[in-house]
Amino acid sequence: MSYDDVEIEDMEWNEELKAFTYPCPCGDLFQITKDELKIGEEIARCPSCSLYITVIYNMEDFSDQKSKTNIEPAKQQPVAVA
Amino acid sequence: MEAKERVNDTEEKEEAWSWGAGTEGQLGTGKLQDEHIPQLLPILSSLSLLSCGGAHVIALTPGKMVLTWGRGTSGQLGHGNLVNSLEPKPVDLLNNYNITHVSAGWNHSGFVSESGHLYTCGDGSFGQLGLGDYRSQNCPIKVSCFAFRHVEQIACGMRHSLALLKGEHGDQVYSFGSGKRGQLGTSNEKIKSISLPRSVSGLEEVKVSSIIANGDHSAALSADGHLYTWGRGFGGTPEVCCPNRVISPFSFTQATLGWNHALILTDEGEVLMLGGSHHGVLNNPQKENLAKQDSNEAHLQKIHGLNRIKVVGIASGAEHSVLTTENGVVMTWGWGEHGQLGLGSTSDHTSPQVVRLGENVAHEHMTSKVYCGSGFTFVVRTQRGKRD
Ligand SMILES: [Zn+2]
Repeated sequence: MSYDDVEIEDMEWNEELKAFTYPCPCGDLFQITKDELKIGEEIARCPSCSLYITVIYNMEDFSDQKSKTNIEPAKQQPVAVA
Repeated sequence: MEAKERVNDTEEKEEAWSWGAGTEGQLGTGKLQDEHIPQLLPILSSLSLLSCGGAHVIALTPGKMVLTWGRGTSGQLGHGNLVNSLEPKPVDLLNNYNITHVSAGWNHSGFVSESGHLYTCGDGSFGQLGLGDYRSQNCPIKVSCFAFRHVEQIACGMRHSLALLKGEHGDQVYSFGSGKRGQLGTSNEKIKSISLPRSVSGLEEVKVSSIIANGDHSAALSADGHLYTWGRGFGGTPEVCCPNRVISPFSFTQATLGWNHALILTDEGEVLMLGGSHHGVLNNPQKENLAKQDSNEAHLQKIHGLNRIKVVGIASGAEHSVLTTENGVVMTWGWGEHGQLGLGSTSDHTSPQVVRLGENVAHEHMTSKVYCGSGFTFVVRTQRGKRD
């Protein structure tokens, strides 16, 4: 069973993982790539455990024909160095 | 939180134990692996307060030194870098501030000083550091908006924070960070996010004794034993944008939050649970609804299988639960995939199970304090033996 339903705009783009992520209760992150979203995948998995979430998004936002301007997920900000 | 007073004619022995998810170094064992049975941590002999987050831990020593370890990739350890730490390391920057209260969130941290100042570090993408921007910080920064106020407690959730302020005008609870689920409690409408603290509405007349945040949940416990919750609903109930009092005939002394459940301790030493439709759930078919409520309110359930054992402490992980009894016995239940129940397996349990902490058996001179991170557990156990 899906652990939760999460809207794509509530996921964070992780540049290192090249994936949209959302916190997993195990401490790791649920992850889904743009390529997966493009082909209509809606399950984001956690690499550390058996849990997964259902990602709510509009597939057209990720198809090649459309520009990427519609997608505005929460961006990870650079860490300020004190 | 409830530091026991030391008695002169007795000898105290304190032990710290950890288990569960450990691949970010959060167990403090010096290893990057999950542990399914409790691990004794020799380096941590004396602690006055612990707070466990998504994958990091903040500890306060009796000498008011702040130690952090675990995941540091958002700067949440406050060490001035973005590196994980496998072992407890002092946060040097806080050395002279006499820190009295701390809280670890998903990827951010809060520290309160004796003089009432709040310092935050870690992930700030949602404004959860309260610094007026959406940047992350790898060293604790003073929340300047509270510079002339007296902060007493901090509670860090997944993407938001709560602060309890004391002053001439009574207690005030402030919130900042993500409000997508109503967890800020600042108005009747959901706010996407705020990066400067704003006052929580509806608690003006309440004398708040403690604040709690985890996941997208927020809560405040009043001095007269009432619990108020806001944010994400429990067990399929709707989100609440303002503090909502939990209706119950009992008086509450402690409350903890998971990602889908809340545990509440009554003044009679009984444990109640709110929500838990996911892994924190007790699927007991005989579960007893203590209060008849309409379907918009989560049901309070009594935890069964305790046989009137007096419970003195509780803790909630994201999807698991821990309690301790008056004899220092530690019991766990809920999600167990990472060994966070400490029972030697990865099985889930729907009712409290006794955890074996080494060879020592529980007795009347023993007390335990329990703490949970998202997928891991810490216990600090004190034994008092009479000197010969
Ligand atoms: Zn996971």
